[in-house]
Amino acid sequence: MSSVSNLSRRNFLTTSATVAGVAAASAVLPVSLAQANHDAASAKGLPEFIKWKDRSALVIHSSKTMETHRAAIGDGIVTPLRNVYIRNNLPSLTDKQIGNRKNWKVSISGVKNPKTFTLAQMQSMGTSTVATVLQCSGNGRGFFPHKPRGSQWLTGAAACLLWTGIPMKTLIDACGGISKGAKFMTSTGADASFLKLDPMIATVERSIPLKAHKDAILAWEVNGESIPNAHGGPVRTVTPGYFGINNVKHVSKVSFTKSESKVKYMKKSYRISPIGKKGSQYPSCWEMPVKSWLTSHTNKTGGVNSGKVTLTGVAMGGTKKCSKVMVSVDGGKSWKKAKFVGPDLGKFAWRRFALSTSLKSGTYKVATKAYSGSKSQPELRSDNRRGYAHNGWKDHSINLVVA
Amino acid sequence: MQKVLKLKKFLYSLLFIIFASSVSADEAKISMGKDLFNGKAMCAGCHILKDAGAAGEIGPNLDGLKPTYAQVIDIVTGGLGVMPAFGEDEILTKAEIDSVSFYVAKSAGK
Repeated sequence: MSSVSNLSRRNFLTTSATVAGVAAASAVLPVSLAQANHDAASAKGLPEFIKWKDRSALVIHSSKTMETHRAAIGDGIVTPLRNVYIRNNLPSLTDKQIGNRKNWKVSISGVKNPKTFTLAQMQSMGTSTVATVLQCSGNGRGFFPHKPRGSQWLTGAAACLLWTGIPMKTLIDACGGISKGAKFMTSTGADASFLKLDPMIATVERSIPLKAHKDAILAWEVNGESIPNAHGGPVRTVTPGYFGINNVKHVSKVSFTKSESKVKYMKKSYRISPIGKKGSQYPSCWEMPVKSWLTSHTNKTGGVNSGKVTLTGVAMGGTKKCSKVMVSVDGGKSWKKAKFVGPDLGKFAWRRFALSTSLKSGTYKVATKAYSGSKSQPELRSDNRRGYAHNGWKDHSINLVVA
Repeated sequence: MQKVLKLKKFLYSLLFIIFASSVSADEAKISMGKDLFNGKAMCAGCHILKDAGAAGEIGPNLDGLKPTYAQVIDIVTGGLGVMPAFGEDEILTKAEIDSVSFYVAKSAGK
């Protein structure tokens, strides 16, 4: 199996239209530095806009990009907000720029009767809560050997969050239904309008297939609190099963359109193209693939004694339910079925899994493989220009030393 | 002996000229890079770089990031997200990209 090359997976690009990529246009730090700065001795302060975060849970890639440490994802399924990764294409809006949150406006167009709603109005119209995995398209970019530009995320540009807001369907109904011929749901962030930049380059506007509106909500709460500005408050589009970038922050407009947005963030960025090629003909980072990783142990875990060891982690199905997780302690030669732990928060959330096994002293290559119906994680990554959508189990495995 | 001494002198002066000219070439590159950073390349509008007096808040803080020369060349050439592809879109020449990248790598975090 080890003779299988990653090159053999490159042709996926010509066949897969829905596997999507990641989000990430920011820092260029060597992976070694990103990994090394987690310890308290090198801890730096957090920037003002996220000073409420737990510094010890985060790996800092730049002043504006940070991921959750592999071991800080928590055992409670829902990721504590103070541990959640930060990755913003544009500066987060400030309280001053937002003004009175209740008066935040979102316009709905591409419907029979276009309307604009304030947050207060939306809150009176309906409510829903959905658990989703929010994952940057570039999560796992740090594992790509060709060193793509962008944040060198390993496993931590992902979180499982509880969003509360109004179902998109409720808003559509209030506007008399979607106009005929619409093929996409397009969300527009207000953040670029506060900057003196070309709107075609700076506007975060994302189109996703129309069918996604059935699961989408416009959220104002995350994990039971108002969405912090750094995470896209006061109102954020939540597109369950779709990569982070499609969950547009500071959303001020949703339109149902016949074609995809023409802005750079739709047309050029977030395209999963072969290394050395680019263009809007390649698949956009839309639906997330099935994926899992170990969180109880890392390459740096020490002090594991021989005997019974419980291996735990998180597993997601993308847009479909995660049905099974297999764990290997011999680098994929043999697999054992893990148990799901804790409640099932729905198909868009991740499941926590556990496998208890007896290990003698030695070094173990621990791998995890998630299944979603007939699909399962591939062994190898799909190499692509910008390092998006990595779900290969081999790169995500860890070396565990048992004393 | 005289000849050897002369040769030595000559070699030393040659070395000095090479050294001096490379220093001044670096200085010229840095000076041009700084001008580009604050001018044509528009870097200062988006990045923090103390040496340039730049306090932009859109992109990452370069003093904290301390990117290498190769990393700056790569990202300035190809762009990323809201950052333009200065090379691929021919906004800057190769020599300009070289200067501004050299300057950023030399001055970030100083």
